[in-house]
Amino acid sequence: MASIDLVGLSKVYAGGVAAVDDLTLSIADGEFFALLGPSGCGKTTLLRTIAGLEEVTSGQLLLGGKDVTRLPPGKRDVAMVFQDYALFPHMDVTDNISYPLRIQKMAKAERREKAATTGAGLGLETLMDRRPGQLSGGQQQRVALARAIAYQPAVFLFDEPLSNLDARLRLEARTFLKRLQHELSVTTVFVTHDQAEALAMADTIAVMEAGHIRQIGTPSDVFHRPANVFVANFIGSTPMNLVPGSAFGRELVPEGDDVLVGFRPEYTKLDDTGRYSLDGTVSIVENLGASMLVSVSCGDHSVQALVPEGEEPPVDAKVSLSPTDKRVLRYRTADGELLEPDRVAASADR
Amino acid sequence: MTPAAVVRRILFYGLITLLSLFFALPLLWLVLAPFDKTPTLTVKIPDFTLDNFAELGKNPYALSSLKNSILISGGAMLLVTGLSALAAYALSRVRVPGRDLILYALLLLSSIVTGTAAMVPIFLLMFQLGLIDDRSGVSLVLTGGLLPAAIFILKDFMDATPKSYEESARVFGASPLQVLRHVVLPIARPGLATIAVWALVNAWGDFLTAYILLRDPEKTPAGVLMYTFYTEGGQANLPLISTFSLVYAIPVVALYLFVNRRYGFRFHGGIKS
Repeated sequence: MASIDLVGLSKVYAGGVAAVDDLTLSIADGEFFALLGPSGCGKTTLLRTIAGLEEVTSGQLLLGGKDVTRLPPGKRDVAMVFQDYALFPHMDVTDNISYPLRIQKMAKAERREKAATTGAGLGLETLMDRRPGQLSGGQQQRVALARAIAYQPAVFLFDEPLSNLDARLRLEARTFLKRLQHELSVTTVFVTHDQAEALAMADTIAVMEAGHIRQIGTPSDVFHRPANVFVANFIGSTPMNLVPGSAFGRELVPEGDDVLVGFRPEYTKLDDTGRYSLDGTVSIVENLGASMLVSVSCGDHSVQALVPEGEEPPVDAKVSLSPTDKRVLRYRTADGELLEPDRVAASADR
Repeated sequence: MTPAAVVRRILFYGLITLLSLFFALPLLWLVLAPFDKTPTLTVKIPDFTLDNFAELGKNPYALSSLKNSILISGGAMLLVTGLSALAAYALSRVRVPGRDLILYALLLLSSIVTGTAAMVPIFLLMFQLGLIDDRSGVSLVLTGGLLPAAIFILKDFMDATPKSYEESARVFGASPLQVLRHVVLPIARPGLATIAVWALVNAWGDFLTAYILLRDPEKTPAGVLMYTFYTEGGQANLPLISTFSLVYAIPVVALYLFVNRRYGFRFHGGIKS
């Protein structure tokens, strides 16, 4: 059990690329923390830096209040589950799970017993004699988790824990991981590029871009109030609609400031009952199963709306659309930051 | 099956039979000739006898030459496997500027080291080192010739082994030596076995290096000894040569079978990523 504190942490690679740039953040004890961002944003580097596999260029890293910045990985009391699981192919499941205990010089009989208990806890009883090559992806993941659990670390680090699984298994594993973390209540940091994964599993999400954190918050925070245009675009199964304020007319635009009006397709209706509305022509309708994603061309802009199945208009139909009043956010065009007070309704009621 | 297909199939198998025979005949000769009373260069049902083996036993150098072969090629095998494993691991894991260029240059030059062209300089070098007529000298020269290719092959092998295995062990607190012993070497074992057998076979079959660097018939390896099997009339002594060839081939074939059974010449795979 430990909290994690990064103080002005930087990791600069030879060649001058700053994968992690002057990062300060705190992860509470027992928290399930997601590092979310597109590929190349530095999230994996940050995770590996916490593990000790990458050397810190400058700044400080504290685990449970103790400075571990210069400690080798083995002395940090962290367990990492790699994207490819990194199960030793020449050892069977028992030996893999008990490997951390072997390093700790635990007696063979004792560690076999411990491996059996840990494995049984993850439903691996019948697989203990197999080699990793004889296991399915989901089973391999559970062995990797069992190995990490057997180590009894203060912190778990998961690198893209679900990306090597099939789509269906991924949903199962997601629920499983969340329950497991809840039961063990060990501080866990996981890296993902999939915003749905982060929203579903994490207590707190840090959205990263180019070595910087663009927003830290609860899943609900980052979904409903993205702090900037980057996060607004990245979070959500469909990106947020961002339309210049001028398209809506004067009342949305504060004097002297160019704004982008943001609203999620989920909170957009195909009628003009809202306070603000746009007119346009339906260009594309995509079937998402229970709902339909309708793309509407409004002048120079394309706006998407999510409507229930069966209520979608035909292509080329003329429609009006309006965002739900309370879900409208405004971003400054110049730097893409969220404007406070952000609720248009609030500013209009003033 | 249509008649045309039958004809095609017959032709196909006929061709395969011919090709197999072409390659099988020399091997068949090797197996049959030693047991023949009067072996010739043709393959025939032997007039069975074991006299040739008794004759071979009378040759004063036959047994010692096999021992020399084992010493020379065994030494080369150990050196090549050990050194190439370390070099390949380092080259695979540490960034060295111009690494690929170095490797290709070495590979290119290595074919010269044990080749005919370099024999004069090598002879001079060994002479200055005082390693003429010394079995370890032969081992060293052969090692030098085999190392680049061995490093090249093993580096590819190590490259294909994900770093995450080692990193995973490190995170659990394993020391560098433990990482090497528990993870790297066991995973690389099929590759090491392949290199070991390959090095041994190459050194075992060497003729030129040993022929040039060794004087004393007591130190001659089997490959060179065979060169001396002539009858008094200056004809090749076929009974002796065929018998000795068979004996000479057995250790290598046995080693191959043993290693193949034990390590299977295959690669341990993790997850495809």
